[in-house]
Amino acid sequence: MPKQQANWSPYDNNGGTCVAIAGADYCVIAADTRMSTGYSILTRDYSKIIQLADKSVMASSGFQADVRALQKVLAARHLIYQHQHNKQMSCPAMAQLLSNTLYFKRFFPYYAFNVLGGLDSEGKGCVFTYDAVGSYERVGYSAQGSGATLITPFLDNQLKSPSPLLLPAKDAVTPLSEIEAIDLVKTCFASATERDIYTGDKVEMLVLNANGIRREVMELRKD
Amino acid sequence: MSIFEYNGSALVAMVGKNCFAIASDRRLGVQLQTIATDFQKIYRIHHKLFIGLAGLATDAQTLYQRLVFRHKLYHLREERDMKPETFASLVSAVLYEKRFGPYFCQPVIAGLGDDDKPFICTMDSIGAKELAKDFVVAGTASESLYGACESMFKPDMEAEELFETISQALISSVDRDCLSGWGGHVYLVTPTEVTERILKGRMD
Repeated sequence: MPKQQANWSPYDNNGGTCVAIAGADYCVIAADTRMSTGYSILTRDYSKIIQLADKSVMASSGFQADVRALQKVLAARHLIYQHQHNKQMSCPAMAQLLSNTLYFKRFFPYYAFNVLGGLDSEGKGCVFTYDAVGSYERVGYSAQGSGATLITPFLDNQLKSPSPLLLPAKDAVTPLSEIEAIDLVKTCFASATERDIYTGDKVEMLVLNANGIRREVMELRKD
Repeated sequence: MSIFEYNGSALVAMVGKNCFAIASDRRLGVQLQTIATDFQKIYRIHHKLFIGLAGLATDAQTLYQRLVFRHKLYHLREERDMKPETFASLVSAVLYEKRFGPYFCQPVIAGLGDDDKPFICTMDSIGAKELAKDFVVAGTASESLYGACESMFKPDMEAEELFETISQALISSVDRDCLSGWGGHVYLVTPTEVTERILKGRMD
Protein backbone atom coordinates (compact mmCIF):
# COMPACT_ATOMS: atom_id res chain seq x y z
CA MET A 1 0.00 0.00 0.00
CA PRO A 2 1.58 3.36 -1.02
CA LYS A 3 2.33 5.83 1.78
CA GLN A 4 -0.80 7.75 2.76
CA GLN A 5 -0.59 11.52 2.87
CA ALA A 6 -2.74 13.71 5.08
CA ASN A 7 -5.44 15.42 3.07
CA TRP A 8 -7.11 17.26 5.93
CA SER A 9 -6.20 20.93 6.35
CA PRO A 10 -6.76 22.84 9.57
CA TYR A 11 -7.35 25.98 7.51
CA ASP A 12 -10.12 27.25 5.26
CA ASN A 13 -10.43 30.57 3.46
CA ASN A 14 -13.66 32.43 4.11
CA GLY A 15 -12.80 35.14 1.59
CA GLY A 16 -13.65 38.81 1.84
CA THR A 17 -11.82 42.09 1.48
CA CYS A 18 -10.74 44.71 4.03
CA VAL A 19 -9.59 48.29 3.37
CA ALA A 20 -8.33 51.06 5.65
CA ILE A 21 -7.42 54.66 4.81
CA ALA A 22 -5.71 57.19 7.12
CA GLY A 23 -6.43 60.90 6.86
CA ALA A 24 -5.08 63.97 8.64
CA ASP A 25 -7.60 63.69 11.47
CA TYR A 26 -9.70 60.61 10.67
CA CYS A 27 -9.41 56.95 9.78
CA VAL A 28 -11.79 54.83 7.69
CA ILE A 29 -11.82 51.05 8.13
CA ALA A 30 -14.09 48.99 5.88
CA ALA A 31 -14.79 45.35 5.12
CA ASP A 32 -17.43 43.46 3.16
CA THR A 33 -19.85 41.24 5.05
CA ARG A 34 -19.79 38.10 2.92
CA MET A 35 -18.46 34.87 4.42
CA SER A 36 -17.82 32.03 1.94
CA THR A 37 -16.31 28.59 1.76
CA GLY A 38 -15.22 27.19 -1.58
CA TYR A 39 -17.83 28.38 -4.06
CA SER A 40 -20.63 28.62 -1.48
CA ILE A 41 -21.82 31.53 0.62
CA LEU A 42 -22.15 30.79 4.33
CA THR A 43 -23.71 34.11 5.25
CA ARG A 44 -24.20 37.56 3.76
CA ASP A 45 -24.12 39.36 7.08
CA TYR A 46 -20.86 38.63 8.91
CA SER A 47 -18.79 41.42 10.44
CA LYS A 48 -15.03 41.18 10.00
CA ILE A 49 -14.39 44.37 11.97
CA ILE A 50 -13.82 44.69 15.69
CA GLN A 51 -13.13 47.72 17.86
CA LEU A 52 -10.27 46.70 20.11
CA ALA A 53 -9.80 50.03 21.95
CA ASP A 54 -11.40 53.43 21.75
CA LYS A 55 -8.97 54.48 19.03
CA SER A 56 -8.10 51.11 17.43
CA VAL A 57 -10.21 49.15 14.99
CA MET A 58 -9.12 45.95 13.31
CA ALA A 59 -10.49 44.37 10.15
CA SER A 60 -9.39 40.86 9.19
CA SER A 61 -9.96 38.63 6.18
CA GLY A 62 -8.89 35.01 5.80
CA PHE A 63 -9.98 32.11 8.01
CA GLN A 64 -12.65 33.55 10.29
CA ALA A 65 -12.28 30.93 13.02
CA ASP A 66 -8.65 32.03 13.44
CA VAL A 67 -9.76 35.67 13.18
CA ARG A 68 -12.27 35.13 16.00
CA ALA A 69 -9.63 33.48 18.18
CA LEU A 70 -7.21 36.31 17.47
CA GLN A 71 -9.86 38.92 18.35
CA LYS A 72 -10.50 37.18 21.68
CA VAL A 73 -6.82 37.10 22.57
CA LEU A 74 -6.36 40.79 21.73
CA ALA A 75 -9.49 41.84 23.62
CA ALA A 76 -8.34 39.92 26.69
CA ARG A 77 -4.83 41.43 26.52
CA HIS A 78 -6.34 44.91 26.17
CA LEU A 79 -8.46 44.37 29.26
CA ILE A 80 -5.38 43.34 31.23
CA TYR A 81 -3.53 46.42 29.94
CA GLN A 82 -6.39 48.63 31.13
CA HIS A 83 -6.28 47.04 34.60
CA GLN A 84 -2.51 47.45 34.84
CA HIS A 85 -2.11 50.95 33.31
CA ASN A 86 -5.49 52.55 34.00
CA LYS A 87 -5.80 53.75 30.41
CA GLN A 88 -6.71 52.57 26.92
CA MET A 89 -4.02 51.21 24.63
CA SER A 90 -2.89 53.63 21.93
CA CYS A 91 -3.16 52.49 18.32
CA PRO A 92 0.62 52.11 17.79
CA ALA A 93 0.80 50.05 20.99
CA MET A 94 -2.04 47.82 19.80
CA ALA A 95 -0.22 47.49 16.48
CA GLN A 96 2.86 46.10 18.21
CA LEU A 97 0.71 43.78 20.35
CA LEU A 98 -1.00 42.39 17.26
CA SER A 99 2.37 41.77 15.62
CA ASN A 100 3.71 39.95 18.65
CA THR A 101 0.51 37.90 19.02
CA LEU A 102 0.72 36.78 15.39
CA TYR A 103 4.42 35.88 15.60
CA PHE A 104 3.81 33.91 18.77
CA LYS A 105 2.13 31.37 16.49
CA ARG A 106 4.86 31.52 13.88
CA PHE A 107 4.88 27.74 13.36
CA PHE A 108 1.10 27.23 13.23
CA PRO A 109 -0.10 30.66 12.16
CA TYR A 110 -3.40 32.44 12.46
CA TYR A 111 -4.65 32.44 8.87
CA ALA A 112 -5.67 36.05 9.23
CA PHE A 113 -4.84 39.01 7.01
CA ASN A 114 -5.26 42.10 9.11
CA VAL A 115 -5.46 45.83 8.80
CA LEU A 116 -5.47 47.88 11.96
CA GLY A 117 -6.76 51.45 11.80
CA GLY A 118 -7.13 54.23 14.29
CA LEU A 119 -5.87 57.56 15.58
CA ASP A 120 -2.41 57.97 17.03
CA SER A 121 -1.67 60.00 20.16
CA GLU A 122 -1.56 63.21 18.06
CA GLY A 123 -5.03 62.53 16.66
CA LYS A 124 -3.72 61.79 13.14
CA GLY A 125 -5.06 58.79 11.27
CA CYS A 126 -2.90 55.68 11.25
CA VAL A 127 -3.18 52.39 9.39
CA PHE A 128 -1.04 49.33 10.02
CA THR A 129 -0.98 46.41 7.62
CA TYR A 130 0.08 42.86 8.46
CA ASP A 131 0.91 39.52 6.95
CA ALA A 132 -0.21 36.27 8.59
CA VAL A 133 2.82 35.96 10.83
CA GLY A 134 3.01 39.49 12.17
CA SER A 135 5.27 41.45 9.81
CA TYR A 136 3.80 44.95 9.93
CA GLU A 137 4.26 48.46 8.67
CA ARG A 138 2.57 51.79 9.26
CA VAL A 139 1.12 53.01 5.96
CA GLY A 140 -1.31 55.64 4.72
CA TYR A 141 -3.73 53.06 3.31
CA SER A 142 -3.99 49.33 2.79
CA ALA A 143 -6.21 46.59 1.38
CA GLN A 144 -6.12 42.90 2.40
CA GLY A 145 -8.04 39.83 1.32
CA SER A 146 -9.39 38.45 -1.94
CA GLY A 147 -10.10 41.84 -3.51
CA ALA A 148 -6.82 43.44 -2.40
CA THR A 149 -5.03 43.09 -5.75
CA LEU A 150 -7.99 44.73 -7.48
CA ILE A 151 -8.28 47.63 -5.04
CA THR A 152 -4.68 48.53 -4.19
CA PRO A 153 -3.61 49.95 -7.59
CA PHE A 154 -6.73 52.11 -7.68
CA LEU A 155 -6.00 53.45 -4.20
CA ASP A 156 -2.38 54.15 -5.27
CA ASN A 157 -3.78 56.24 -8.11
CA GLN A 158 -6.61 58.08 -6.32
CA LEU A 159 -5.46 58.83 -2.83
CA LYS A 160 -2.85 61.36 -3.84
CA SER A 161 -0.83 60.06 -0.91
CA PRO A 162 2.87 59.86 -1.41
CA SER A 163 3.11 56.28 -2.66
CA PRO A 164 4.54 53.70 -0.25
CA LEU A 165 6.69 52.63 -3.19
CA LEU A 166 8.61 55.93 -3.18
CA LEU A 167 12.03 56.31 -1.66
CA PRO A 168 12.74 57.98 0.77
CA ALA A 169 9.53 56.96 2.53
CA LYS A 170 7.20 59.91 3.10
CA ASP A 171 4.49 60.36 5.71
CA ALA A 172 1.63 58.70 3.96
CA VAL A 173 -1.69 60.10 5.20
CA THR A 174 -3.96 61.22 2.41
CA PRO A 175 -4.80 64.90 1.95
CA LEU A 176 -8.37 63.92 1.01
CA SER A 177 -11.28 64.93 3.25
CA GLU A 178 -13.27 62.40 5.26
CA ILE A 179 -16.26 62.51 2.86
CA GLU A 180 -14.01 62.03 -0.18
CA ALA A 181 -12.24 59.10 1.45
CA ILE A 182 -15.52 57.38 2.30
CA ASP A 183 -16.75 57.83 -1.28
CA LEU A 184 -13.52 56.33 -2.53
CA VAL A 185 -13.96 53.30 -0.26
CA LYS A 186 -17.48 52.79 -1.59
CA THR A 187 -16.21 52.96 -5.18
CA CYS A 188 -13.45 50.46 -4.39
CA PHE A 189 -15.87 47.93 -2.97
CA ALA A 190 -18.35 48.38 -5.81
CA SER A 191 -15.58 47.69 -8.33
CA ALA A 192 -14.08 44.78 -6.39
CA THR A 193 -17.55 43.22 -6.06
CA GLU A 194 -17.91 43.19 -9.85
CA ARG A 195 -14.77 41.16 -10.44
CA ASP A 196 -14.15 39.17 -7.25
CA ILE A 197 -16.62 36.41 -6.44
CA TYR A 198 -15.74 36.42 -2.74
CA THR A 199 -16.58 40.11 -2.25
CA GLY A 200 -20.13 41.43 -2.10
CA ASP A 201 -23.44 41.60 -0.17
CA LYS A 202 -22.68 44.64 2.00
CA VAL A 203 -19.77 46.81 3.00
CA GLU A 204 -19.46 47.93 6.60
CA MET A 205 -17.45 51.13 7.18
CA LEU A 206 -16.25 52.47 10.52
CA VAL A 207 -14.99 56.04 10.68
CA LEU A 208 -12.88 57.20 13.62
CA ASN A 209 -12.29 60.85 14.25
CA ALA A 210 -11.98 63.35 17.10
CA ASN A 211 -15.76 63.16 17.69
CA GLY A 212 -15.74 59.41 18.19
CA ILE A 213 -16.69 56.52 15.97
CA ARG A 214 -19.40 56.26 13.33
CA ARG A 215 -20.69 53.21 11.45
CA GLU A 216 -22.08 53.17 7.93
CA VAL A 217 -23.32 50.24 5.82
CA MET A 218 -23.74 50.19 2.04
CA GLU A 219 -25.43 47.48 -0.04
CA LEU A 220 -23.36 45.69 -2.68
CA ARG A 221 -24.22 43.24 -5.45
CA LYS A 222 -25.31 39.90 -4.07
CA ASP A 223 -24.25 37.66 -6.96
CA MET B 1 6.91 29.98 -11.42
CA SER B 2 4.22 29.44 -14.03
CA ILE B 3 5.21 29.47 -17.71
CA PHE B 4 2.79 32.36 -18.24
CA GLU B 5 4.79 34.40 -15.75
CA TYR B 6 8.21 33.72 -17.25
CA ASN B 7 8.51 36.93 -19.27
CA GLY B 8 5.95 39.22 -17.60
CA SER B 9 3.35 41.34 -19.36
CA ALA B 10 0.40 43.67 -18.91
CA LEU B 11 -2.17 44.27 -21.64
CA VAL B 12 -5.41 46.19 -21.66
CA ALA B 13 -7.89 47.30 -24.32
CA MET B 14 -10.79 49.70 -23.79
CA VAL B 15 -13.76 50.82 -25.85
CA GLY B 16 -14.67 54.49 -26.25
CA LYS B 17 -17.08 56.47 -28.39
CA ASN B 18 -16.32 55.34 -31.96
CA CYS B 19 -12.74 54.61 -30.94
CA PHE B 20 -10.69 52.17 -28.93
CA ALA B 21 -7.37 52.13 -27.10
CA ILE B 22 -5.00 49.23 -26.59
CA ALA B 23 -2.05 49.49 -24.23
CA SER B 24 0.81 47.33 -22.98
CA ASP B 25 3.83 47.56 -20.72
CA ARG B 26 7.35 47.49 -22.21
CA ARG B 27 9.28 45.03 -20.09
CA LEU B 28 10.80 41.81 -21.30
CA GLY B 29 12.22 39.74 -18.47
CA VAL B 30 13.59 36.29 -17.80
CA GLN B 31 11.97 35.53 -14.46
CA LEU B 32 13.24 38.29 -12.23
CA GLN B 33 15.93 39.69 -14.52
CA THR B 34 14.95 42.45 -16.94
CA ILE B 35 16.32 41.92 -20.42
CA ALA B 36 14.67 44.68 -22.47
CA THR B 37 12.71 47.83 -21.65
CA ASP B 38 11.31 48.53 -25.11
CA PHE B 39 9.72 45.20 -25.98
CA GLN B 40 6.74 45.38 -28.28
CA LYS B 41 3.68 43.36 -27.33
CA ILE B 42 1.04 45.02 -29.50
CA TYR B 43 1.13 44.33 -33.22
CA ARG B 44 -0.74 45.90 -36.10
CA ILE B 45 -2.64 43.56 -38.39
CA HIS B 46 -4.14 46.35 -40.46
CA HIS B 47 -4.86 50.00 -39.84
CA LYS B 48 -8.05 49.22 -37.93
CA LEU B 49 -7.01 46.00 -36.19
CA PHE B 50 -4.45 45.43 -33.48
CA ILE B 51 -3.54 42.37 -31.46
CA GLY B 52 -1.64 42.33 -28.18
CA LEU B 53 -0.09 39.09 -26.98
CA ALA B 54 0.61 38.44 -23.30
CA GLY B 55 2.44 35.44 -21.92
CA LEU B 56 5.53 33.66 -23.15
CA ALA B 57 7.37 36.03 -25.49
CA THR B 58 8.63 33.41 -27.92
CA ASP B 59 5.12 32.03 -28.41
CA ALA B 60 3.78 35.57 -28.77
CA GLN B 61 6.24 36.32 -31.56
CA THR B 62 5.62 33.00 -33.36
CA LEU B 63 1.86 33.38 -33.05
CA TYR B 64 2.05 36.91 -34.41
CA GLN B 65 4.09 35.71 -37.41
CA ARG B 66 1.56 32.98 -38.14
CA LEU B 67 -1.39 35.36 -37.84
CA VAL B 68 0.16 38.00 -40.10
CA PHE B 69 0.83 35.23 -42.63
CA ARG B 70 -2.81 34.13 -42.50
CA HIS B 71 -4.06 37.69 -42.81
CA LYS B 72 -1.83 38.44 -45.79
CA LEU B 73 -3.19 35.37 -47.59
CA TYR B 74 -6.73 36.40 -46.72
CA HIS B 75 -6.04 39.86 -48.12
CA LEU B 76 -4.72 38.39 -51.38
CA ARG B 77 -7.72 36.13 -51.80
CA GLU B 78 -10.50 38.44 -50.59
CA GLU B 79 -8.93 41.74 -51.74
CA ARG B 80 -9.90 43.36 -48.46
CA ASP B 81 -8.87 43.48 -44.78
CA MET B 82 -10.30 41.06 -42.23
CA LYS B 83 -13.04 42.25 -39.92
CA PRO B 84 -12.06 42.13 -36.23
CA GLU B 85 -14.76 39.56 -35.41
CA THR B 86 -13.47 37.29 -38.16
CA PHE B 87 -9.87 37.78 -37.03
CA ALA B 88 -10.85 36.85 -33.49
CA SER B 89 -12.36 33.59 -34.77
CA LEU B 90 -9.15 32.97 -36.74
CA VAL B 91 -7.00 33.45 -33.64
CA SER B 92 -9.30 31.18 -31.66
CA ALA B 93 -9.02 28.46 -34.31
CA VAL B 94 -5.23 28.76 -34.56
CA LEU B 95 -4.92 28.43 -30.77
CA TYR B 96 -7.29 25.47 -30.53
CA GLU B 97 -5.33 23.58 -33.22
CA LYS B 98 -2.66 23.29 -30.52
CA ARG B 99 -5.15 22.15 -27.86
CA PHE B 100 -2.86 19.51 -26.32
CA GLY B 101 0.40 21.44 -26.71
CA PRO B 102 -0.72 25.08 -26.60
CA TYR B 103 0.90 28.41 -27.27
CA PHE B 104 1.42 29.96 -23.83
CA CYS B 105 -0.15 33.24 -24.85
CA GLN B 106 -3.21 35.24 -24.01
CA PRO B 107 -4.24 37.49 -26.88
CA VAL B 108 -6.09 40.81 -26.62
CA ILE B 109 -7.71 41.83 -29.90
CA ALA B 110 -9.02 45.32 -30.63
CA GLY B 111 -10.36 46.71 -33.87
CA LEU B 112 -12.94 48.86 -35.62
CA GLY B 113 -15.52 46.73 -37.42
CA ASP B 114 -18.37 47.56 -39.78
CA ASP B 115 -19.40 51.21 -39.52
CA ASP B 116 -16.28 51.76 -37.41
CA LYS B 117 -17.89 50.14 -34.40
CA PRO B 118 -15.20 49.30 -31.80
CA PHE B 119 -14.63 45.61 -31.08
CA ILE B 120 -12.51 44.12 -28.32
CA CYS B 121 -12.01 40.62 -27.10
CA THR B 122 -9.57 38.41 -25.24
CA MET B 123 -9.13 34.65 -25.07
CA ASP B 124 -7.35 32.07 -22.99
CA SER B 125 -4.37 30.12 -24.32
CA ILE B 126 -6.55 27.54 -26.07
CA GLY B 127 -8.88 29.96 -27.80
CA ALA B 128 -11.92 30.45 -25.55
CA LYS B 129 -13.21 33.87 -26.62
CA GLU B 130 -14.38 36.46 -24.16
CA LEU B 131 -16.20 39.36 -25.79
CA ALA B 132 -16.63 42.47 -23.70
CA LYS B 133 -18.33 45.79 -24.26
CA ASP B 134 -16.11 47.80 -21.94
CA PHE B 135 -12.56 46.54 -21.44
CA VAL B 136 -10.41 43.41 -21.52
CA VAL B 137 -7.16 42.69 -19.71
CA ALA B 138 -4.37 40.09 -19.90
CA GLY B 139 -0.97 39.32 -18.45
CA THR B 140 0.71 38.98 -15.07
CA ALA B 141 -0.86 42.23 -13.87
CA SER B 142 -4.38 41.15 -14.90
CA GLU B 143 -5.94 41.17 -11.42
CA SER B 144 -4.65 44.68 -10.71
CA LEU B 145 -5.84 45.74 -14.17
CA TYR B 146 -9.33 44.36 -13.51
CA GLY B 147 -9.58 46.45 -10.34
CA ALA B 148 -8.20 49.62 -11.86
CA CYS B 149 -10.27 49.40 -15.07
CA GLU B 150 -13.48 48.52 -13.25
CA SER B 151 -13.16 51.65 -11.10
CA MET B 152 -11.93 54.04 -13.78
CA PHE B 153 -13.93 53.02 -16.84
CA LYS B 154 -16.92 55.01 -18.09
CA PRO B 155 -18.84 54.16 -21.26
CA ASP B 156 -18.62 56.39 -24.37
CA MET B 157 -15.45 58.29 -23.56
CA GLU B 158 -13.96 60.49 -26.26
CA ALA B 159 -10.48 59.72 -27.58
CA GLU B 160 -8.48 62.05 -25.31
CA GLU B 161 -10.30 61.01 -22.15
CA LEU B 162 -10.01 57.33 -23.13
CA PHE B 163 -6.28 57.76 -23.55
CA GLU B 164 -5.99 59.32 -20.08
CA THR B 165 -8.08 56.59 -18.47
CA ILE B 166 -6.31 53.64 -20.06
CA SER B 167 -2.91 55.17 -19.29
CA GLN B 168 -3.74 55.74 -15.60
CA ALA B 169 -5.19 52.23 -15.28
CA LEU B 170 -2.12 50.66 -16.91
CA ILE B 171 0.46 52.62 -14.95
CA SER B 172 -1.17 52.08 -11.54
CA SER B 173 -1.59 48.36 -12.22
CA VAL B 174 1.94 47.67 -13.45
CA ASP B 175 3.39 49.61 -10.51
CA ARG B 176 2.05 46.83 -8.28
CA ASP B 177 3.45 44.00 -10.42
CA CYS B 178 7.15 43.17 -10.33
CA LEU B 179 7.09 41.40 -13.68
CA SER B 180 5.62 44.19 -15.78
CA GLY B 181 6.39 47.88 -16.14
CA TRP B 182 9.23 50.03 -17.52
CA GLY B 183 6.73 52.40 -19.09
CA GLY B 184 3.78 51.88 -21.39
CA HIS B 185 2.82 51.75 -25.03
CA VAL B 186 -0.65 53.08 -25.92
CA TYR B 187 -2.36 52.94 -29.32
CA LEU B 188 -5.43 55.12 -29.70
CA VAL B 189 -7.46 54.26 -32.81
CA THR B 190 -10.26 56.34 -34.29
CA PRO B 191 -11.87 55.94 -37.74
CA THR B 192 -9.53 58.60 -39.14
CA GLU B 193 -6.18 58.11 -37.40
CA VAL B 194 -3.98 55.91 -35.25
CA THR B 195 -1.95 57.57 -32.49
CA GLU B 196 0.89 55.75 -30.82
CA ARG B 197 2.21 57.13 -27.53
CA ILE B 198 4.88 56.00 -25.08
CA LEU B 199 4.17 56.46 -21.37
CA LYS B 200 6.82 57.09 -18.80
CA GLY B 201 6.23 55.30 -15.53
CA ARG B 202 8.30 53.86 -12.73
CA MET B 203 11.36 52.36 -14.35
CA ASP B 204 11.55 49.30 -12.20
